[in-house]
Amino acid sequence: MKSLPEITDKVKKNLIWKSVFRRDYRNTVRDRAQAVFGNVFLHLHPVQVRESAVKLRFTWGMGGITLFAFIILVITGVVLMFYYHPSIDQAYTDIKDLEFQVPFGVILRNLHRWGAHFMVIVVMIHMFRVFMTGSYKAPRQFNWGVGVILLVLTFLLSFTGYLTPWDQLGFWAITVGTNMGAATPLLGYQGPFSEYLHITPYNDVRFALLGGAQVGGNALLRSYIWHCVAIPLVATILMMVHFWRVRKDGGISKPQK
Amino acid sequence: MANENKNSSSLSLYIFVFFSVVLLVLSLWVVWDDEFGLRPWKKYQADYKTMKHDKLEQDYRHAVVEFQRSGGHKKLAELEAKLEKAEAGFKSNETQEKFTKLNSQLEAAHEALAKSQKELRDLRGQFLETEYYFTKTQQPDYKSKMDVLQRSIDSVALRVAAQQKIEDSIKGSLSSLTAGTAAIRAQIATMKNGLEEKKEKIANNEKVPIEIKQIHIADVDKADRCQSCHIGIDGKNQVSGKQPFTRHPASFVYLDHHDPAKFGCTFCHRGQGRATTSAEKAHGNVKHWDEPMLQGDMTQTSCLNCHGDIKGLRGAEKIIKSTELIKKYGCYSCHKIPGYETVGDVGPLLTQVGTKVNYSWAVSWLLDPKKYFATARMPKFYFTQDQAEAIADYLFSMSGTTRHDADNTKNKPDAKLIEQGKALWAQSRCNLCHITGGRGGNNVKVYAPDLSKVGSKVNKEWMFKWIKNPNTYFPGTKMPRFRFTDEEVNGLVAYITSEYQDEDAEYKYAQPVEIKAASIAKGKDLIQKYGCYGCHKLQGMEDMVQVAPSLRKQGVTFLRNNEMREKIGMELSSIGSKPVDMLDFGKLKKSIPNDRLSYIKQKLRDPRGYRLGLRMPNFRLAESEINELSAVLYGFTDASVPTRFLVPSRQELDRMAGVPSYKFTGDFAKVIADVKCTNCHAIRGIGADYAPDISIAGSKLQESWIRNFLANPDVIRPLLQQMPKFGLSSGKPQAKVTMPRFNLGQQKVEDTNKTDVDVVINFFQQELLSSDIPKEIPKINTIAMPEQIAKGKQLYDLKGCKACHQIGTEGGALGPNLTNVGNRLTQGFIFKHLENARKFKADIVEPNYGFTETERIYLTNFLMTLKLNAK
Repeated sequence: MKSLPEITDKVKKNLIWKSVFRRDYRNTVRDRAQAVFGNVFLHLHPVQVRESAVKLRFTWGMGGITLFAFIILVITGVVLMFYYHPSIDQAYTDIKDLEFQVPFGVILRNLHRWGAHFMVIVVMIHMFRVFMTGSYKAPRQFNWGVGVILLVLTFLLSFTGYLTPWDQLGFWAITVGTNMGAATPLLGYQGPFSEYLHITPYNDVRFALLGGAQVGGNALLRSYIWHCVAIPLVATILMMVHFWRVRKDGGISKPQK
Repeated sequence: MANENKNSSSLSLYIFVFFSVVLLVLSLWVVWDDEFGLRPWKKYQADYKTMKHDKLEQDYRHAVVEFQRSGGHKKLAELEAKLEKAEAGFKSNETQEKFTKLNSQLEAAHEALAKSQKELRDLRGQFLETEYYFTKTQQPDYKSKMDVLQRSIDSVALRVAAQQKIEDSIKGSLSSLTAGTAAIRAQIATMKNGLEEKKEKIANNEKVPIEIKQIHIADVDKADRCQSCHIGIDGKNQVSGKQPFTRHPASFVYLDHHDPAKFGCTFCHRGQGRATTSAEKAHGNVKHWDEPMLQGDMTQTSCLNCHGDIKGLRGAEKIIKSTELIKKYGCYSCHKIPGYETVGDVGPLLTQVGTKVNYSWAVSWLLDPKKYFATARMPKFYFTQDQAEAIADYLFSMSGTTRHDADNTKNKPDAKLIEQGKALWAQSRCNLCHITGGRGGNNVKVYAPDLSKVGSKVNKEWMFKWIKNPNTYFPGTKMPRFRFTDEEVNGLVAYITSEYQDEDAEYKYAQPVEIKAASIAKGKDLIQKYGCYGCHKLQGMEDMVQVAPSLRKQGVTFLRNNEMREKIGMELSSIGSKPVDMLDFGKLKKSIPNDRLSYIKQKLRDPRGYRLGLRMPNFRLAESEINELSAVLYGFTDASVPTRFLVPSRQELDRMAGVPSYKFTGDFAKVIADVKCTNCHAIRGIGADYAPDISIAGSKLQESWIRNFLANPDVIRPLLQQMPKFGLSSGKPQAKVTMPRFNLGQQKVEDTNKTDVDVVINFFQQELLSSDIPKEIPKINTIAMPEQIAKGKQLYDLKGCKACHQIGTEGGALGPNLTNVGNRLTQGFIFKHLENARKFKADIVEPNYGFTETERIYLTNFLMTLKLNAK
C-alpha cells in the first residue's frame, strides 16, 4: 500500500503533468508572475494593474466588457454555424428550426443576437468614455485610431450578420445599406463622378458587396463569409494590437492627479 | 484601513454569491424551459397516450366481459381440461416409449438423408467441373468421366428420394401422436386470439415513443410538424373530441385523397408548419407570419392551388359556389385571371344601344345601376351627372345623332292583345330566367336582366326585333329565339311594355335633342379611362387591353407566356400570396387588421378607399359575397406546388393531348345558336347544370317521345324538383319548373330544307349516344313474353318500386312517373339503368338492388309495356 503523498508524487512528477501544469499555485510574487508569463492569454494582460486603474467610476470597464461580449459572440457564433446553411432556400428555415427544434437553440440564437446588440452599445459607450477622459491624447493617439477601426468593424459585423436570417428585415436593411454604397462618390454608380469613371451597377462597390446587382444568394454568401470569417479575423488581430498598445502606452488610462 | 478592506471584500463576496445564485437559477431555468416549456407537444403526446391506453383497456375489458357472458370462459376451461387429459394420455408410458423410439428413428433417418444429400451435392459439383473442362478442352476423357458421374448422380438421387420418403413417414407418425394436443391448442389459441390482439394493442401503445412527428416534403423543403400535437389527426378511431387530439373532419374526402405523408398539412391549411413551441406560432397567428392557418370552409380556397377545374369536386362545395361570383361580376373582364380567357362578356353589346334604350334611362343607369333594379350586376362608378351624360352621348352617337326617349305609357295597346301576350309570357316560361316583380329567375347562372321596369327602358320597335330574333342585335346573347309569329311577338311587346313600367321614370328627351361633339369626345375618354369595353363590346375598342392588374400570375392552367397580355397598373398577380408588407393600405382611415384577407375584403367593400385616383368601381357586394369572393382571391397564389400535385382541368388535359374540345357542328350548331339549349342543359361537358344532362339522350330516349316533349314539355319528376337538395350539390332549382316551349318544328333551318325539330332529333340520334347502352336487350326464348311481363310486374311489386315511382294513380312521387315510361325510354337504357343507376348519374337516389340479368330482362319488358294512350 502506498501512502497518499506517494501517489500524489507519482501523479505529479512526470512529464505529462508537468507539461500541462507548469508551476505550483502558491501565493507568492514569483508564482503569480510565472502564471502570467507562462500563459499566452494572460500574457496579453499586464502583470500588475494599478488599483486606481480598475476603479469602475473612471473606466466603466467598458473595454473589458466589449471583449467579454466578443468572446460570447465567437462561442455562440461557432455553435450557430453548425446549424446554418448560407443559402436562400435554407437560411430562413434554419433560423426557424433554431427557434423550434434545436436543443437550446433559442438561448443560443438569442445570446448571439442580444450579445451583438449589447456589444455595439458597449463599444460606443467605451468610445464615449475614452473621449470624455481625453484618453485619445498622446501617447494614445495611435490606439485611438485602432479603436476607431475596431468600432467600424463592430458595425460591419452587425450589418453583415443582419442579413443571415434572410428575413424581410435583413433583406431590406441590406438593400438600403448597399444602395447607400451605390450613391457614394467615386465608388457607386449613382454617386457623383460615376459617369466620368465609367462606374455602372455591374462594377461598383455595391456589386462588390452583393456579388451581383441585387440582393440574392451571392449577397447572402458574401455576408456570411464576411460575418463569420473575414471580419472576426481582422478584428481579433486588431484587438490584440489594441490591448498591446494599452500596455505600451502606460496601462489603462487613469485619473490625473 | 485593514478593517475597511475587510468590510469591502465581504461586500464583494455577498455580491458575488448573489449573482452566482442568480446565474445558477437562470441556467436551471434554461434547461427546464428547453426541455418542457418550449416543447409542449411532449405533454400532448403523453396525454394522448394515456387516453388511448384507457380506451384500449376499456375495449379489452369489454371484450373480456363479452367473452365471459357468451360462455367463452367455460368453453375455454373445458378445452383446457381436455388438453390436460390429452397431454396425460400422451405422457403415458406406452406413448412415450413410442415417441422416443420414433424420435431416435427420425434422427437416424435424417442423418442418413443428410449424408446422401451431401454426396449428391459433391457429385453435382464434380459433374459441373468436368463439364467445364470438357467444354474448354473437348477431350473425350472428360466426356466419359461425365457419363460415369451422371450415372452415380442418378443413383444417389434415387436414394435421396427414398430416404426423404422414409423421413416423411416417420414425421407423419410423430405428428399423428401429437395431433390430438395440437388441435386442442389451436382451438384455445383462436378463442383467445381476439383478446390477445387487444392486449397486444395496449402493449404496442406503450411502446410508441414521444417524439417530434414531422412530414418532410423534400422538393419544396417543407417540414410540417403539426402532428406532434395533432397526434390523432389521421387515426382510425377518434380517441378524444378535444383539440388537439381530434381526427381530421371528413377525412374520407380530404385525407383519403391527400395522403398526409405525401402532402403534409400546410399546403392546404397554411400556418407555420415548422413551429412547435406554441399553438399561436404553429397556427401562424403571430406577427410577421403572413400565412395564418386556414380553418373550416376557408381551407377550401387551397383547392385552387392544384385543381385546375374544381367543378363537381367533392369537398370543395363552398369554393365552387364562391368561384361562381367571378363569373357573375365578370372580374376577368378587367383583371387577367387564367382559366377565364374563354368566358364571354358579362355586359351586353353596346354598339346599337341608342336604338334600344331611353336616353334618360341610360343616364340614370350609369349614375346608379342598383336604383333601377336591386340585383343589377353593373357596379357604381361614381360618375357625376356630366360624366354620365357624356358617356351616354358617346354611346348614342354610335347609332344616331340625338338624345331621345320613348314614352311607352302613351298609346296604350289593345287589351285583347295584352291578354294574348300575357298568356304567351306564361307559356314560354319567361320567368324561368327573368325576374319580374321579385319573382322568377330560377335559372340564376344565366343572369338574365330583371324586367320589372323594362317598359320604361326600351322602345317597342327594338323589343319587337329583339324577341323576334335576339341574335341579330347581339350575337352571342343567352336569350333564345322562340320562333314566335309576328302576331305573337306583338302581343308580348304589348304585354311587357304596358305591364312592366317604372312609375318614377322620367322622359326628358321625348323631343329629341342634338348631341354635342365635345360631349362625345369627353365620353370616349371616360370610357377608355374606366375600361367599359372590358365588359361591353364597343365598336373600335375591341383590341383595348385590360385596365386592371392581373389577379393570378400562374397556377394550374399551364399558361403560356404569350397568353399574358400587357397590363396597366400595379402588379397584383397572385394576390393570395402577396407579402402583407407590400400591400398598400394607404390613406385608409378606418382601422382594419393588418393582414391580407382583411385587405382584400376592404378593397371589395370600398374599392377606391386606399388611394386617390383608383378606378375600380364599387360592386356594392353583400357582406356574404365579400366573404366568398375574398376566399377565392385568397386562393390565387403563386405557392410553389410540386408539379406532381397538380390536377389539370379536363380542357387542359385535352389541350396537352392535342384533343380538340367538343364543338357543335352541322345543322344542329345552327339550331343551338338560336335555342341556346346549353343555358340549362349540359351536353358533352358544355353547358349548365340547371336541367338534366342530355349527353346520352339519344340512347336513352325514344324519338317519338322527344318529338312530343319538345312540342309540349311536361314535368317528369314532380316531387324531386321541389325537394330541397339540402346543399349537397350546387345550383339545383327548388321550384317546380318545366322546359319552355320553343315552338320547334315550324321553321326550316337556314340553308337546308329540314325542320329544326328534325335537326335536333337527328343530332340526338347521331351524336348523343352512349356505347354502354345497347339498342336491343338480350332475349329469353324459353319463356313466353306475357309470362316474362308478368314476372317483371311481380318483381316491381316485390321490390317496392312503387314507394317512389308512380304508375297511373298509384305510387310515390319521389322518382320519375313511370305511367308512360314505355313511350319515353329506350329498352336498352332501362336495362342498363337497372344494373347500375349511378353509372349515368352519380348523385341519383335510386338504390342498387343487384338484379340478375334475367330479372332485369323481365323488369325491362314489363316497363316497356307501360304506355299512355298506346297507339
